[in-house]
Amino acid sequence: MEGSIALAAPPRPPGIWRQGWFRFRRNRGGMLGLVLVGLVVLVALTCFLVAPYDPNDQSAMLRGASRQGPSWAHLLGTDRNGYDVLSRVLYGAPTALAVGLGAMLIASILGTIIGGIAGYVGGMVDEVLMRCAEFFLVIPVFIVILAVVRLFGIMVVGTALERVPHLNLMTIIALLGLFGWPPIARMARAEFLRLKQADFVEAAICIGATRRDILLRHILPNALPSLIVLVALGIGGAILAETMVSFLGFGDPKAVSWGQLLYFNYESLKVAPWGSVAPGVAIFVTVLGFNLLADGLTDAFNPRLRQ
Amino acid sequence: MAPPLLSVEGLQVQFHTRDGIVRAVDGVDYSVGRGETLGIVGESGSGKTVSSLALLRLVPPPARIAAGRVMFEGEDLLAKPERELGAIRGRRIAMVFQNPATSLNPIYSIGSQLGEILRWHEKLDRAAAEARILSLLDLVGITDPATRLRQYPHELSGGMKQRIGIARALLCNPALLLADEPTTALDVTIQAQILDLLADLRQRLGMAMVLVTHDMGVVARMADRITVMYAGRVCETASAATLFSAPRHPYTRALLESMPRIDHRYTGPRQLLPTIAGRPPGLLNPPAGCRFAARCPEAMAECRTTLPVETVVAPGHSVSCIRHGSQGIAA
Repeated sequence: MEGSIALAAPPRPPGIWRQGWFRFRRNRGGMLGLVLVGLVVLVALTCFLVAPYDPNDQSAMLRGASRQGPSWAHLLGTDRNGYDVLSRVLYGAPTALAVGLGAMLIASILGTIIGGIAGYVGGMVDEVLMRCAEFFLVIPVFIVILAVVRLFGIMVVGTALERVPHLNLMTIIALLGLFGWPPIARMARAEFLRLKQADFVEAAICIGATRRDILLRHILPNALPSLIVLVALGIGGAILAETMVSFLGFGDPKAVSWGQLLYFNYESLKVAPWGSVAPGVAIFVTVLGFNLLADGLTDAFNPRLRQ
Repeated sequence: MAPPLLSVEGLQVQFHTRDGIVRAVDGVDYSVGRGETLGIVGESGSGKTVSSLALLRLVPPPARIAAGRVMFEGEDLLAKPERELGAIRGRRIAMVFQNPATSLNPIYSIGSQLGEILRWHEKLDRAAAEARILSLLDLVGITDPATRLRQYPHELSGGMKQRIGIARALLCNPALLLADEPTTALDVTIQAQILDLLADLRQRLGMAMVLVTHDMGVVARMADRITVMYAGRVCETASAATLFSAPRHPYTRALLESMPRIDHRYTGPRQLLPTIAGRPPGLLNPPAGCRFAARCPEAMAECRTTLPVETVVAPGHSVSCIRHGSQGIAA
């Protein structure tokens, strides 16, 4: 073996992720989704710098300048509580992302572990876990969230928990995660079931791989592409769910959330439509972005799904 | 005589299904000496693959190894704890799979896939592992191994992947190589190359090999001894030369007759290649007597009721047949 062969390192050929990216790049919808999501992330990271006003600044109301149309001072106008609409919408981005990512983080960890165990172990364990998933699937999440947020909100009064910032928001995130895992578990189960019988898994056992290696090195990475698609789709869903909860007035009063902006402003829809339209557009763009992204990822990772 | 490297005694593998117990492998015995190649031949469902997987206790549920001993280097593999067996798999006994396209993990490069074995079994550092892999890729006839190391399975051809599969099996210098239909998924020219490679490597490295196949042509050129399986049982075991020149068991004979031959003029009105009429028995409720009795042209009444025992008819030649199992030449 001459050293020169190793020295002239050939260009690294594409692996499964790079190939997925090549396919994804050709997908217009997916790229649009990526741009939209990127925009939301950018806003979430920089809102502290670019927002013209403090999101809790209601001084316009004191000046009698609430419900004013767009102007140079307030680019998207002010709402009926005297907040600057643009600043509120910008500050809604980190909340939305926290909800979407947080809820799906919980859901995907739970879903992958539960579905993975069900698929890999099989038999009775599989049966029990999947019935459990169906149980969670048929519970009306909204009712549960509304009830828990309300009851929990009353229960913590007077305890140390009361001082935890954004407790309500965290409750919502936890509940969305707790009820969001079944679809992921189902997919994880299907993938683990398929992959545990794959020849390369058998080959790995044959060369003396431990169970841990089989699960973490051979099965899980091959299941990830399918799971990521579901997670991307779930983020949009979770954001939308939090919006609805907030719109019903059960959101976190201290967090700036798009749903809550709608809740505060829908009554003045005729007089100051910008107060409702701006957060509405923000929700639309974000959820659309995540859905397009998920679509693009589906095409990139499972090209055969759509002939 | 030294004890054989591997000896399988009374191996039984059963599938527990809803309808009952399917005896896929029902009392199989064979042995492989050091450096010897044993061919196991049989049609689909004869239990040849399951019996070879059972050597490493790799039968998938709902299959269970119900009885038997697998003596390898003086130890019973079926009685060993799982942890110790893991150290034998891949290190002392390695396996080459049927379908090279699916037996390599698609998300790892060749180098990291092969490296993982050396990491487990030999605790080699990165540079030493890479050197070992490169020399093996070279040995199995892969050109430009340094480039291949960084490539992914989907970038290689089927024959190349099978060479990688062989290199993977050989990484730790196993004493025994299990090859389960190693050429079935390849086209004919590549088949020949892979078989030549296996024969050459076996000789150079002095390994023993168990070659499982349904292709008589493959065993004819590769095997020292051949075991013919039918419906979960061994019909006949003989040296390759004897089996082809003087087969005793009617199933072996029928099998050999139904091989197309280029130097044979088929007679009869339609000049058809002879076939074996009927099909193998279901293994859920196998017939009481000889498994082949229903299709056997020479079956006697006794064949349908009594299970034939394996009889040695000549040194190294044993047959399980009531009619042809006696020492003398049966009429």
